[in-house]
Amino acid sequence: MSGNPLYILLCSGEHEKLQMAAMMASVGAVSERPVEVFVSMNAILAFAKDAPPEGRYRGGAFSHLLKEKHAPDVLTLFRQGRQLGDLKMWACSMALDVCGWEMSGLVDELFDGALGLTKFLSDAEGGQLVTL
Amino acid sequence: MANQVLDVKGLNCPLPILRAKKALKDMPAGATLQVLATDPGAVKDFEAFCRTTGNELLESTVDGKVYSFVIRRTA
Repeated sequence: MSGNPLYILLCSGEHEKLQMAAMMASVGAVSERPVEVFVSMNAILAFAKDAPPEGRYRGGAFSHLLKEKHAPDVLTLFRQGRQLGDLKMWACSMALDVCGWEMSGLVDELFDGALGLTKFLSDAEGGQLVTL
Repeated sequence: MANQVLDVKGLNCPLPILRAKKALKDMPAGATLQVLATDPGAVKDFEAFCRTTGNELLESTVDGKVYSFVIRRTA
């Protein structure tokens, strides 16, 4: 059983939006929906391999509550989605270029590779596209 | 009596669903999993989860603040 594919265009670096993207991606994947996440703009900064734990996620009032209540970590949710379902993650090739990063600069075992926006949007024509 | 019990009391969305999926993944077809949760959203979440994954929701009950779901793995 395989549902309508879900495509998430993740641009925001806000903790709250990163959290929602991770929740949507993991729940979609375990619900038998193929999920693809395209990470660009400020969002890519949260996936830097060398980001300090306390500085990885920046947000507002709700971000403080998420941390205070020990909500599941964004990276952990994405990893669980990948382990339990069909979840692919792509790093925006433009964002990598602007940051001067290679794929090795991103956290391990989370990304399937680098991708251009044109290819992602083309693929997304076959499913539901959500932008955060 | 379910074949396996998963206690996710105290955990909020989406962890009950993720833990249930992980448990079901390791169970043979036809086996049953009882999930105990305290997240009120879990009632509709597990209905949707079973509908989309093809697993069978055999039972959905509540005792005080604890919700119990019995799922048969069919997928």
